[in-house]
Amino acid sequence: MKKQSAWLLASLAALVLVGCAGQKEPAEKAFASAQAALATIHDAAQKYAPDQLQAVETQLAGVKDSLAKGDYKGALDAAPALTTAISSLKDTADAKQKDAEAAAAAAKDAWGPLSTDVPNMVAAIQSRVEVLSKSHHLPKGVSKDGLASAKSGLDSMKAAWSDASNSAAAGDFTSAVGKAQAMKAQAADIMKSLGMSSG
Amino acid sequence: MADDKTPPAANNPYTQAYVVVSGDTLSKIAQKYYGDPALYTKIFQANRDVLSDPNKISPGQKLRIP
Repeated sequence: MKKQSAWLLASLAALVLVGCAGQKEPAEKAFASAQAALATIHDAAQKYAPDQLQAVETQLAGVKDSLAKGDYKGALDAAPALTTAISSLKDTADAKQKDAEAAAAAAKDAWGPLSTDVPNMVAAIQSRVEVLSKSHHLPKGVSKDGLASAKSGLDSMKAAWSDASNSAAAGDFTSAVGKAQAMKAQAADIMKSLGMSSG
Repeated sequence: MADDKTPPAANNPYTQAYVVVSGDTLSKIAQKYYGDPALYTKIFQANRDVLSDPNKISPGQKLRIP
């Protein structure tokens, strides 16, 4: 009886060991596959969905931890959710990248007219300021403070234009357009203060 | 961008334009826009392509006001 119990116990232990060993390879393969899939989308995910990437990396680390502990069943059980999470991350990153590229293309289109308008506005203001600076009396509606403000505004716009142009030259049209639009608004205000209206 | 001496470009859409009416003179126009009739020369210089004589302007003429 004792021999039979011992034999039974030994058999059961052997079965468990074989079962675990049977899950090891599939679990390791599942982990390697997930790790490789994540690597292919890592850069885009880092740029466009960093929070979601962090969550997926935490999940991956969990599976790795299970493997390290020999919990191959646990690792295998977690693998499908991890695969889904990586797929979802890819979809999110792809969609956001597409949106960003569309926005950049729109900004590039908007830059063209602004790159002409803003310098023209500044040139017109500069000319008027130059003439008014020679005037013995300012015209109705234009004050000394207004003229002084226009002069300092011109200086700041020249610096801002240099900044905007540099952004455009570097390919960052989104930034360039934002700066140019702000300048255009400022120039319009200055023109109004000087009694200017365009032809 | 324009330096301090650069006149407005002839095709600058933001350069102010003025259409001459009967009774106008360049001095009166300079008074209106600059507060100083003596600065009529600025308007004349900016419109040399349409004005040959600062004393001769005609109603309907479109002038650039720098």
